[in-house]
Amino acid sequence: MTIKRVAITGIGVFCGAGKGIKAFNQALQEGVSGIGTIDLIDTTPFTTSIGAQVKAYDPSCYFSPHELRRLSRADQFGLIAADEALQDSGVRDHYAPWDLGVSMGAGAAGMFQSEFWLKARLEGGQASPALLRGLLPDRTTTEIAQRFKLCGYQGSITTACSSSATAIGWGADLIATGRQKAVLAGGSDTLSVLTYAGFNSLKVVDVNPCSPFSLGRNGISLGEGAACLVLENEETAQRRGAKIHGYVLGYALAGEAFHMTAPEPTGTTAARVMAAAIKTAGIAPEEVGWVNAHGTGTPLNDVVESNAMKTVFGERVSQVPLVSTKAMTGHCLGAAGAIEALATLLSLEQGFIPQTLNFRGRDPECDLDYCHGGRRDSDCRIALSNSFAFGGNITTLVLGK
Amino acid sequence: MNNTERKIVITGYSAITAAGTGITPLQELLSRGASALTSVPVESADGQQLMWGHASHFKAADFMPPLKARKLDRSSQIATATAGLAIREAGIDVKNLNPERIGIAMGCGFGGIGNSAEFLTGFFNSGAEGMTPLLFPNTVSNASASNASIEHGLKGPNVTMVQRFCSAESALLMACRFIEQGRADIMLAGGIDELNPLMIKGFIDLGQHKSLASCFGEGCGIIVLESAESADRRGVPVRARLTEIRTVGLMPAGMEEEGRLRLTGDCHGISRAGFSGTADLMPSLTGLFAEDRRQSIAPVVGRSLAMGATALATLIASTGPDEKAIHLAASPEGPYFSICFHGGTSA
Repeated sequence: MTIKRVAITGIGVFCGAGKGIKAFNQALQEGVSGIGTIDLIDTTPFTTSIGAQVKAYDPSCYFSPHELRRLSRADQFGLIAADEALQDSGVRDHYAPWDLGVSMGAGAAGMFQSEFWLKARLEGGQASPALLRGLLPDRTTTEIAQRFKLCGYQGSITTACSSSATAIGWGADLIATGRQKAVLAGGSDTLSVLTYAGFNSLKVVDVNPCSPFSLGRNGISLGEGAACLVLENEETAQRRGAKIHGYVLGYALAGEAFHMTAPEPTGTTAARVMAAAIKTAGIAPEEVGWVNAHGTGTPLNDVVESNAMKTVFGERVSQVPLVSTKAMTGHCLGAAGAIEALATLLSLEQGFIPQTLNFRGRDPECDLDYCHGGRRDSDCRIALSNSFAFGGNITTLVLGK
Repeated sequence: MNNTERKIVITGYSAITAAGTGITPLQELLSRGASALTSVPVESADGQQLMWGHASHFKAADFMPPLKARKLDRSSQIATATAGLAIREAGIDVKNLNPERIGIAMGCGFGGIGNSAEFLTGFFNSGAEGMTPLLFPNTVSNASASNASIEHGLKGPNVTMVQRFCSAESALLMACRFIEQGRADIMLAGGIDELNPLMIKGFIDLGQHKSLASCFGEGCGIIVLESAESADRRGVPVRARLTEIRTVGLMPAGMEEEGRLRLTGDCHGISRAGFSGTADLMPSLTGLFAEDRRQSIAPVVGRSLAMGATALATLIASTGPDEKAIHLAASPEGPYFSICFHGGTSA
């Protein structure tokens, strides 16, 4: 089983590490983290106060007051990233509206706004019902479809932290099957009281910026943002003279059927999914240059992912860096897979492997090459991007240039 | 979907709705023109006279140990129970098959919202001391599918979709693709939605209790999709054979007829039509079929975001061998789905 080569002809991003491709790319190249003190929500009840918030954001620079009455923060981020990606690709000038689809991944979605409604209700007050409009995670997808007149497929994947990786894989499937000529695929998610308090209640948030695969790492740093890719059939993209940033070569997904929050400790399913993704891409494991890890910085996740790498790459594992860009972007939950796919794509395109930031010391259980020392040049053409989620939902994308 | 790669058949289905457990009670109410809708308790309805399709009969303890049930949110309880019924109905013995070849794709409506509200209520009322960590994992939309996969040992593709009133159809499309590509031999595909008093208050605040959320329903429907080769190998009856799935995202003003044609084609030879989501409110779709050939479960068990698989299962149960039927689903702002199939052996 293989899928046809699906070209990536447009890219857009809006997140704590960079508002727009230029800023995001600079942060990626220079190893600058977007994690800092957050002020979007009150963090005083928690032991942590940091995250990769989109700072200095004035929605009125992007949307009219009328639009802002109905758009959640997640909708706004998604629309901004989608606009950048669609403009980059120019795809809307080349296909009929029916041939253009949208496949987005989502997480907490409009929960941030909806929380104000609930709080007001609990306090016996009144809040604008409009705060609830973005509650369900499909709203961003519909807003994008309507604004940009993408009349073909419209779907939202909601598998928590693997949502937007799956949305990109599924978008590539929609192209490969000929159902759509172009698909805007990605994800959008924002910080919220629910997720900030929830992860704090599970005691998996590091008080310092997360340090994936390091000794003494103590959990995640949350983030927010959106990233979008425009996917097209390679041949038609070439025919219309589109700039091709890279390719979605394959993907795989599975459920661990193990536990809602804990990863299966041997990494067996994670390894199976990575191997299956490589197989769908029609490549050999030897062709994979590096892997953009799920790499949350929790003690268990990083060991499990390292173990899965050993199963997939065998003796060659020391030559395949496992890199986490979450120390730069924070864990953007429903948008994480898309933001990390974009980071992988940009790195491949420009011939480097990004750094895993915030090294605290070598953990004997994490004994691979994590690029802790700094970014390095690389001429490899293919990389994987892993996404693991609550529920044991695992997705691996195979990206190439 | 054009089944040029692997033929897809349906080998089982089940549901838990306000009508009861399984498709039969729903089908009986539908044939009698009766309804399982009941009054929303006054305290939940801000004093208004509202109806809902609440699955009040559902007791998680009938399907799983009480300790396990306590760890699951309501959506996960109902979905896990329904998945078990569908697996049994399709004659699947997971232990004697490769679990990596069996997956699950679920459409979800308001799943996870109940746990989210309860977790936040604790926090808003009592600060960090009021947070209940046990509630947080099941605030995600994919909790239902994941908990069902954990309970039944399904290790194949696992995905959850939310897309307005077409959430279940969205999941079904993806599940079919996984079988076509050979990623799985069997996919449980369906939809789950839940009702809770806070949702009703939200509907009232938004004014939706007078429109699409009037008579909102809850429950779960699951269809067992399987490659024809796998069904043959297992020697199980085929309830239906899928022939085509079409979808359109939007039907902008001035393009409605073109969109409708893309969605339904000419509908030649179709004996029965089932309507889900808000498709029964669209004259351009209902008008394609004589009244005695149409069916909609919304008046029976309520309308919900993920009702599609329950509606489709009911249609399959009503379709004779080799009869051609179409399932149509819509949302007010899109998307729209059509699913065509031929009837098979009755359950």
